Amino acid sequence: MPDSRKGGEIRQVSRGVTTPDVDTAMPDPEIQQRQKAMELSAIGKRQPRLDGPEKVSGRSLFTDDVQLPGMLYGKILRSRHAHAKILKIDASKALALPGVKAFITGDDSEKVFANQYEPAISKGVTHYIGEEIAAIAAIDEVTAEQAIELIDVEYEPLPAVTDLRKALRPSAPRINPYHDGNVASHNIDNYGDPDQAFEEADLIFEDKLATHPTHNLYSEFHVVLVDWSFPDKLTMYTPTQSGYLFQKKLSEAFGLTDSQIRIVHLNTGGAFTGRGLLRPHHYIAALLSRKTRRPVKIFSAGDEEFLTCRAGGDNDYVVRTAITNDGVIKGFEIEGIMDCGAHAAGLSYLSAMAGNYQARLFKIKGLRFNRKCVITNQRPNFFHHGGMMTGLNAAIMQQLNRAAQQIGQDPIDMFLANAAEQGFTDIVGGTFASCGLKECLEKVRDRSGWKNKYGKLPPYHGIGVAIGSMASGVKGAFKHDTSAAMVKVAEDGIVTLYTGIPDMGQGTHTTMAIITAEVLGCDAEDIRLVAGDTETTPLDVGAFTQRGTFTTGNAVRIAATDARDQIAKVAAERLGVTPDQLVFRDRKIMVNSDRNRNMGFGEAAYACLHSREGRFVMGNGFYNSPLKYGTLAWSFGAQVAEVTVDPETGEVQLTRITVAHDLGRAINPLAVEGQIDGQIFSGMSQTLYEECETDNGQFLNPSRLEYKMPRTYEMPQVEYIIVESVDPYGPFGAKEVGEGPIVVTVGAIAAAVSNAVGAFMPEIPMSPWRVLRVIHQNGDGSGSD
Amino acid sequence: MAKQQISLTVNGDLYELLVSDQQTLLDIIRTEIGLTGTKRGCTTGACGVCTVHNADGEAVLSCLTHALEWDQESITTIEGLESDGELDAIQKAFVEYHALQCGFCTPGVVMSAKAVINKYPEPTEEQINAGMAGVLCRCTGHIKVKEAIRNTHKIRARDGVKGA
Repeated sequence: MPDSRKGGEIRQVSRGVTTPDVDTAMPDPEIQQRQKAMELSAIGKRQPRLDGPEKVSGRSLFTDDVQLPGMLYGKILRSRHAHAKILKIDASKALALPGVKAFITGDDSEKVFANQYEPAISKGVTHYIGEEIAAIAAIDEVTAEQAIELIDVEYEPLPAVTDLRKALRPSAPRINPYHDGNVASHNIDNYGDPDQAFEEADLIFEDKLATHPTHNLYSEFHVVLVDWSFPDKLTMYTPTQSGYLFQKKLSEAFGLTDSQIRIVHLNTGGAFTGRGLLRPHHYIAALLSRKTRRPVKIFSAGDEEFLTCRAGGDNDYVVRTAITNDGVIKGFEIEGIMDCGAHAAGLSYLSAMAGNYQARLFKIKGLRFNRKCVITNQRPNFFHHGGMMTGLNAAIMQQLNRAAQQIGQDPIDMFLANAAEQGFTDIVGGTFASCGLKECLEKVRDRSGWKNKYGKLPPYHGIGVAIGSMASGVKGAFKHDTSAAMVKVAEDGIVTLYTGIPDMGQGTHTTMAIITAEVLGCDAEDIRLVAGDTETTPLDVGAFTQRGTFTTGNAVRIAATDARDQIAKVAAERLGVTPDQLVFRDRKIMVNSDRNRNMGFGEAAYACLHSREGRFVMGNGFYNSPLKYGTLAWSFGAQVAEVTVDPETGEVQLTRITVAHDLGRAINPLAVEGQIDGQIFSGMSQTLYEECETDNGQFLNPSRLEYKMPRTYEMPQVEYIIVESVDPYGPFGAKEVGEGPIVVTVGAIAAAVSNAVGAFMPEIPMSPWRVLRVIHQNGDGSGSD
Repeated sequence: MAKQQISLTVNGDLYELLVSDQQTLLDIIRTEIGLTGTKRGCTTGACGVCTVHNADGEAVLSCLTHALEWDQESITTIEGLESDGELDAIQKAFVEYHALQCGFCTPGVVMSAKAVINKYPEPTEEQINAGMAGVLCRCTGHIKVKEAIRNTHKIRARDGVKGA
């Protein structure tokens, strides 16, 4: 149920250094040395995905491939108005159609909220074009579609406001009862001493940047299949970033216990920040299934996909940098006005995380982030891949590249002089136990040939540098941030890993198999995986905030170590040594000092079972960061982008990008490159192409043909540099590579385009017409000089 | 919506099907024949996840074509690329070069890539770009997909020409 919390009130807080439950955030040289000195076998190999053969042969099951006996098909009736009263919904003609089994409206879902303020089905009033107002279940999709067409709705249009700036005017219509003045939240976060930082500056740079609505546009469309045939068991098949969160939310909404909810997430066809939350269609499928006592599938077709997604919205930023004449960065001030759309859901929480991003990169004195989330009659918004950090980095990195130019410094030299390093505690409270930021900067400088290019390019050619950092898991949503894992070793030496973390493509399942194999001295191919089902896997909070490799990886490491210890006990007896003298490697258990004294791994597992103890080897483990909240391990990165701009058409071509990423340790360098590739694609896409164009709340380009993303021939030359700082807390030293690079890509491309046209680029995406406008208004095309 | 009978050969097997004028080739592959490797995506020809091959080994968007038009025809779906229990060279290349991630678009991307290889066993950059322009893949950014296509002939030389 939504609470009666009102908007409009400004919450101003000073945020200082957080106190960890235990003092583990400081780098421990001893642990780090041990991690660095590890003799590794499975880790570091270019390991093809273990699910590769299934996926390339069409065998992998996705939600839409699942057919249950007696399954019905659901379709949703969506609002045609941006804001209207719903006077009447008449479904008599629809219900008369043979094959129609159920019809539901807001009356059937009064107490069910998809998110804090968002009804599963809106009742009496509709707040945006595409909002769910009724639904049908029928024996097939064609019948369900026909039935939807036969529903008569009587609307009384209300004044709507779809522009976030206009929504803040006193004269604007009030969009929902929860938020006065259409302000969902207004916070001012102060880190360190921002006022002092700006006082100490010689120069203050100020720029404005606007971002526009986007769609995460994963390959697999929104789809859900629910079987709630019996009241005490709800089974949901759907792509997700977290079976656990979905289980929690559904149990709250429907008054069931967690264990009465089963989430089956099979394969998940991409997420890109877009599959962490339940949406109305999930609840609607459940309501239809409960009513019909049959399984119900809902598939979002065509343009519906663009209304169902919760990606980026219109956001306006003002960024200010305080800097001295000799290039010391003192602080930042950021103002952000963000369009939540019609219902606030998580935007405020996520923006708080994004606002202090720049504080981790530079040794600054203070940062202030003034952020306001606004309600409009638009599709509810969340964020695209990279969160709010992409837009902010596009602004700040352009500004810093230009600031360096103005004070006569090379931007990379200026970044190096200000950059955070190992052992540094930032003003937000993060301490960097490992940090390869400077190494990343030096390596992209050298590999890209920066010194020969910067300031020496012909007109309309640009080069730009950006840096970034990303948390490897953030504790904060719950008191715990737990991942658990189980490792079973069969008597033939084949290992089964049970994990609840979803693999949406990032390759986590293969990563977890590699970690298991490393601990047990096996090959990754020896590891079988049981995943994707909350009923058969141990708890895992899920795949977001880049916690997979770090948090789940640590849980898997601990579970595998538990199994290893059980085997080591028996093997040590057989080999006549103590367990600590053993090494697990090459599917063997060897005496470290004399590796010819050994036994096979399978032989040892067999010996465990066929002993007097009769031990079946099962290792358990869980990991929860010892911090109260926040992050133990941060990744760092730097990128140099090179572009050409066509002054006639405004088209930007990204010709080359050099990427250095400090991910602690590359568990699987092949997958690391793959992660970087995808983020270059999406970073380039967000900076140059992607935009949901809207007119008074109506989507104008809701198709994969019109919503522009790069095609094969547009991809640039990519240079990869993997920096391994070996984090003391990461599993075998590993940190994240799932979202760190994309934020830097956006910043680097933005800086390069700005360098090419000689002006600050005030909007992303930098569509050709926007680039032309800047060239005509400001730019002289003189490149970086 | 009177249904008509068609004879369609899918991966070498003959199917006699009653289809309506509403059904696309994609519909019958997935629901009537039950081969779910071919994916349902945008259903407007913009994403490429539904790609199959006609008898000449050319890429066809199965979401855009009526099933009725395929009477007496023969098609290959992703499930038909293997031969003698072994993956085709293009499939092996995708696995070895990490040209897939979430895997949802992968069947369509593999079929598009295979159509390129059918025409040009050692394709140029331009030929790859032209042949792959119709597919969308956010996960891989197409980078390793192109690498896999470029290297397929090497895998074919290494492992023989099964599935040619």
